Amino acid sequence: MLPKAGEVVINARQSAQQAARYRILSASGETTAPQPQMEGWQHFVRRAEEVGVDSVLISFSRYEPEPLLVACALGRVAKKLKFIVAYRSGLILPTTFVQQVNTLSALIEGRVSLNIVAGSSAQEQRGYGDFLAHDERYARAEEFLAVCHAFWRAEGDVNFAGNYYRVEKGRLHTPFVSADRTAPEIYISGHSEQSERLACSQGSCWLRAIDTPEKLQPAVARMRSYGIQVCLRLCLLCRPSREEAVEAAAALLPSNKKESTISLKDDSQMHQEAKTLGSNGYWLSDTVWTGLVPHYGPVWTTLLGSPKDLAEAFLAYKQIGVGEFIISGWPEMDTLDVFGRQILPLVREAERHN
Amino acid sequence: MALKTAQETARVLTTRATSPAALPDMEGWVRFARCAEEIGIESVLLSFSYYEPDTIFIACAVGRETTKVKFIVAYRAGLMQPTTFVHQINTLSGLIGGRVALNIVAGSSAEEQRGYGDFLEHDERYARAEDYLEICHSFWRSNGEVDFQGKYCRVEKGKLYTPFLAPDRTAPEIYVSGHSEQAQRLALDNASCWLRLIDTPENLAPIVKPFRDQNVEVALRLCIICRPTLDEAKQAARSMLPDEDIGREERGILSSSDSQTLHQALSAADNVGWLNRNLWAGLVPHYGSSAMTLLGSPAELAGIFLDYKRIGVTQFIIAGWPKLDEMLIFGREVLPLVRELEARAAS
Repeated sequence: MLPKAGEVVINARQSAQQAARYRILSASGETTAPQPQMEGWQHFVRRAEEVGVDSVLISFSRYEPEPLLVACALGRVAKKLKFIVAYRSGLILPTTFVQQVNTLSALIEGRVSLNIVAGSSAQEQRGYGDFLAHDERYARAEEFLAVCHAFWRAEGDVNFAGNYYRVEKGRLHTPFVSADRTAPEIYISGHSEQSERLACSQGSCWLRAIDTPEKLQPAVARMRSYGIQVCLRLCLLCRPSREEAVEAAAALLPSNKKESTISLKDDSQMHQEAKTLGSNGYWLSDTVWTGLVPHYGPVWTTLLGSPKDLAEAFLAYKQIGVGEFIISGWPEMDTLDVFGRQILPLVREAERHN
Repeated sequence: MALKTAQETARVLTTRATSPAALPDMEGWVRFARCAEEIGIESVLLSFSYYEPDTIFIACAVGRETTKVKFIVAYRAGLMQPTTFVHQINTLSGLIGGRVALNIVAGSSAEEQRGYGDFLEHDERYARAEDYLEICHSFWRSNGEVDFQGKYCRVEKGKLYTPFLAPDRTAPEIYVSGHSEQAQRLALDNASCWLRLIDTPENLAPIVKPFRDQNVEVALRLCIICRPTLDEAKQAARSMLPDEDIGREERGILSSSDSQTLHQALSAADNVGWLNRNLWAGLVPHYGSSAMTLLGSPAELAGIFLDYKRIGVTQFIIAGWPKLDEMLIFGREVLPLVRELEARAAS
């Protein structure tokens, strides 16, 4: 996950607490996170390429720079790294969106995937001129992606007449340019039934917050049986021993318990679930902890332990059919290092043994 | 200058799916933009169409590799929500040092618009563009949250945290182009500059005045063919006339447009051809309305640019064939003479 603008500290140490604090403040307009900050990002991107990370996610919100353009600027300097750009349907007409994504692909050798989100809080969506309710946003996202795919199939003019979009003789000359694909990979995120359906009908990968392998297994098997990949979002906390990791996790809880990056009005099911967390304790297993979720949001469900614990955990998810992980951490830079240098080699070694 | 290096000579060829114009040409564009910077061109226009790459992204990529030149990004109102548009433009401004201006177009032909999912007719598209730009300006004024309830656009408690970032502005310059009454209205209401095709200074003087009276600048679009003598320029112009079948095809495309600008330019080409000694409409039927061409020697052209300046025109968006060559001629031979005449007039 790409750090917020201004979050990367170059040539100095940044504690996990400082990084977490920056994240909370970034959603209040009190930091420089809304302004593109190429230097810190380029530093991060180079490191990600060094440690062998495949892609980074660039998030979308009104608190941040627009992610398609950030991908354009960063993609022009990165060499291998792919960018998963989060975007919401309802913000742009699908023809325009495809024209932009195709142009972007041609500028950065096709290193772009999309994470299509049906919407965020109703309040934030209305600020973008979108007045649909949660369920309707999924129906619209379905149409949005159907139009996009029609352009990417490039079988002549695109005609579409739906409830939310209508396109007549749509034509774009700039194709999706990539060495091995004619359309971008589409990640669909969400925990609701609608998001699962949307992932199956229009996506290539279903993206959701991590849970225990046991809990995830049935849904993962279902998605895989439809040929859809599954990707988990998680926060990674690795220390030499599990005890140290637990201690470090506790230290990340904001001192002001009410402080939160989560919009209370967010009507996504992921956020509804996040708000009810805590009643059943924060530990879903020895390694999966949800203590940060009420403060930072559902994607901050934390996988924690020693490098060995974590390598085993990743393999357990792989065994049930999870193929990709989007990893965050505090600070993002250090998490990249720990993952790339301490955990990934153990995972690869275990994979070789099997 | 208009940036478009991968374009074929005749526009109709550019509109074909096999044209190289569909793909970004970073090498050519960066060379062109750096060249423009060197010879003192302030901005380049990026045109928008379904047969070219998206202009906002081209401005981003080329802008990251240049330092001075500004990008006038053509975009059509209605292709995305105004909030999204401001989000993109503000982000772009932060990535390229604020070197972005906008040329807001209400739309193109009804047919092309429907391919984008836009089914409004010409006049309604202008009404929507008014709504659209009003919302954009509210974000750029950034006095808290944006609330707007119009016929075409509605925003409730809109807030964007990424500001328009430029050393000297809090919002981009807005060029509005078009000859229709609605276009002029839109320029006066919501733009910093009205962009139209060149005509003779005599014809333009009364049209330019009301804009200047309301502090709206006027920019002219034109092509130039500059040669050592007018005769040589004319000869070069005639050699630009394409094969007959391409001319007919282009004519078909142009006639289907509901743009008033285009209809006026076409009728100028049909009725008079030469608007004065140096201004020729002969290429319009083949290359589109912006091919209204000013021809002459460097000294003649410098004098003509000052004639336009005298009636209040302050900016010119110039094209030529090939663009890079004509830009170099303009920068090396015409521009120094213009500056010299300006200095003489000032002293």
